[in-house]
Amino acid sequence: MLSALNLISQNLNAYLILSGLLFAIGAFGFLARRNAIAMLMSIELMLNAVNLAFIAFGAFLWAANPAQAATASTIALIVIASAAAEATVGLAIVIAIYRNRKTPLVDEYDAMKR
Amino acid sequence: MPYETLIPLIALLPILGFAFTALFGRRLMLRFGRTAAEIVPVGLIVAVWVIAMIVVVPALQHAEPFGEKGLDVKLWTWIPAGALQVDLGFHVDALTACLLIVVTTIGMLVHVYSIGYMAHDRATWRFFAYLNLFMFSMLILVLANNWLLVFGGWELVGLSSYSLIGFWYQKRSAALAAKKAFIVNRVGDVGFALGIMAIFVNTGTLNIADSLAKLTAPGAELTVPITIVALLVFCGAMGKSAQFPLHVWLPDAMEGPTPVSALIHAATMVNAGVYLVARANPLFASASAAMTVVAAIGIFTAILAASIAFTQTDIKRVLAFSTLSQLGYMFAALGVGAFSAAIFHLMTHGFFKGLLFLGSGSVIHSVDGEQDMNRMGGLARKIPITHATMLVGTIAIAGIPPLAGFFSKDEILGEAFKNQFYWVWIIGVVVAIMTAFYMWRLMGKTFYGESRVDPAVAPKVRESAWQMTLPLVLLAIPSLLLGLVLGGGVFLGQQGILAGWLEPVFRQAEEIMARTPQPFQLAGIDGALVLISVAAALAGLVSAVYLFGWGSHRVKQDKVDAISSANGATRFLYRASLNKWWFDELNDLLFIRIGGRVAAFLWWFDRTVVDGTVNGVGTVVKDAGGGLRQIQTGRVQNYALGIAIGLLVMAGSFLLIMGQPR
Repeated sequence: MLSALNLISQNLNAYLILSGLLFAIGAFGFLARRNAIAMLMSIELMLNAVNLAFIAFGAFLWAANPAQAATASTIALIVIASAAAEATVGLAIVIAIYRNRKTPLVDEYDAMKR
Repeated sequence: MPYETLIPLIALLPILGFAFTALFGRRLMLRFGRTAAEIVPVGLIVAVWVIAMIVVVPALQHAEPFGEKGLDVKLWTWIPAGALQVDLGFHVDALTACLLIVVTTIGMLVHVYSIGYMAHDRATWRFFAYLNLFMFSMLILVLANNWLLVFGGWELVGLSSYSLIGFWYQKRSAALAAKKAFIVNRVGDVGFALGIMAIFVNTGTLNIADSLAKLTAPGAELTVPITIVALLVFCGAMGKSAQFPLHVWLPDAMEGPTPVSALIHAATMVNAGVYLVARANPLFASASAAMTVVAAIGIFTAILAASIAFTQTDIKRVLAFSTLSQLGYMFAALGVGAFSAAIFHLMTHGFFKGLLFLGSGSVIHSVDGEQDMNRMGGLARKIPITHATMLVGTIAIAGIPPLAGFFSKDEILGEAFKNQFYWVWIIGVVVAIMTAFYMWRLMGKTFYGESRVDPAVAPKVRESAWQMTLPLVLLAIPSLLLGLVLGGGVFLGQQGILAGWLEPVFRQAEEIMARTPQPFQLAGIDGALVLISVAAALAGLVSAVYLFGWGSHRVKQDKVDAISSANGATRFLYRASLNKWWFDELNDLLFIRIGGRVAAFLWWFDRTVVDGTVNGVGTVVKDAGGGLRQIQTGRVQNYALGIAIGLLVMAGSFLLIMGQPR
């Protein structure tokens, strides 16, 4: 009786709504913030929102199918790993661009137009 | 050396000569004089002649390794492309050998002659380079063992002929004549190219021997009917051999230097069409309708050109129309199925017409470039060698025994009669009368009677240099004897030597036509035919001698005028002949005026409708692109917004279509 008892809420929808809100905040931040660092942070937010959804599904699946529920945790771990890698590369790029353009604002990064 | 090495050398040496002379000829000529530039091209052609003779002798006798089928020399696979496998290869049999004799012998003599004839030209090296290129092209055409290579040689002779007709390109008429020759030839070449494609479609091979065997195999299933294939191939022959209605280029081609007229437009290139039809003899033999067309066009060209030759005053143009007429004879012979008679006439005509052209060149050279026979006359004593050799040529072409022309022409007429082509025979006899007449008219106006030469030039008239008279003498010998040697045997009740040589080549055609061989009866029908054709030649000759004089007897101009203006009919004929039956005017009307209108309309259509559509499409795309260009802001977040909106739309529509979430 490990799974559902330790949960804060017994309702799956609560977790999914939280996950969706976090994702929406992240997406909004990514689209609206002009600072490159803030955009990277927004990406982290979206990734973690997805992770939360995975973990929630996994926890509620545990009783029915423990093997499949373990897959959810695995995917979440992979996402964390790739999120770390993505953050590293993203920050490195941002710093490189910053040194070039002397600004963290992505509005100024319009080289793709040319 | 083995024949497999010698045969490619025949074609290789002239192209080397061309490359060498084209690259270094000018410098050699400027630094070391003409001889230095001439020695390589002329020397190589002499070498080619020697090699050709070594090859020709065993090939004619069907000796090993030639045999009756001939020797195939494959150098390499030229075009390997799936089903299309084209070899670069040569084929030498008795027919090829006959052409080799004519092409290399006359080619060599013309090269020697040109040394004298072009002695005062600024660009002799260019002339010899072109001559070598021509020799290469013609030899490729004759030697090739597949249709594509024949076509390559075919186009190359057209090109070199164009270059040589327009050799004096500063002269507007020469440049125009070169263009005319090239374009009219192209009309025939289109037909030939289509014919080759039809052959490939039918048989899947371009090798001449294989494709002919497959085309004429009993029960062969052909995509393109054999009559059409034969007519398309004949179309090419008509262009190159200047048969009606594509004959208009040959008289104008006389703008080129006279050695060129002799080599290309009398003795070799114009024979290519005859050679082509003879080479494809099983194809034509299987298509009797096409054969009738060949005979009809040939004999019609013969009488048409002969009638024009009556009134021309330019000495070379008379010979040009005479060439057209004799080529018509050859095609008539091919059309009635007398293939070996056609090749016989090709050979004898090559020699005596080459002689006549070179002789006319010698005449022109001696009277300082004058070509109008009305400004010649009385030249016989001043240029005796030219006169004597041209006299031989004239009697040979007129068909008086025992000179060359008699045997070949008589064989053609005899075959036409015995194969029941009586209309060909009757017109042929009329043409024989006309030939003798206009040739003596040429002789009379040029060599006899009083001198009408420009008084300023008259004292300077003298015989040409030895480089020019030697080829004349050398050509006079075959003009005298070749007919007797090659075809005299029939009068002794045997097969002619040439007919024996060519018998294996034409055997298949003979089998297809399945005619019963008729032995030569000197006391019967053949004797009568011989008498008729000799009488015809004599009639033409005697009447021309009476009208146009001989020795010191002058032209009876009043009688000539009286005949040509006797009544409406003769006046019309005279004007028709003088204006070449208005073919140039007809072509002008059809192709320049009417054709020009059509072309102008098509041009308008192309500009407005076709170009309009294409430009319209371009404008729409360009404007659409310009509009969409605004989307590309270069800002990552705009793109991300696009992605987000797209995702939402997709997810939303997915939900709408697949139903509400449960």
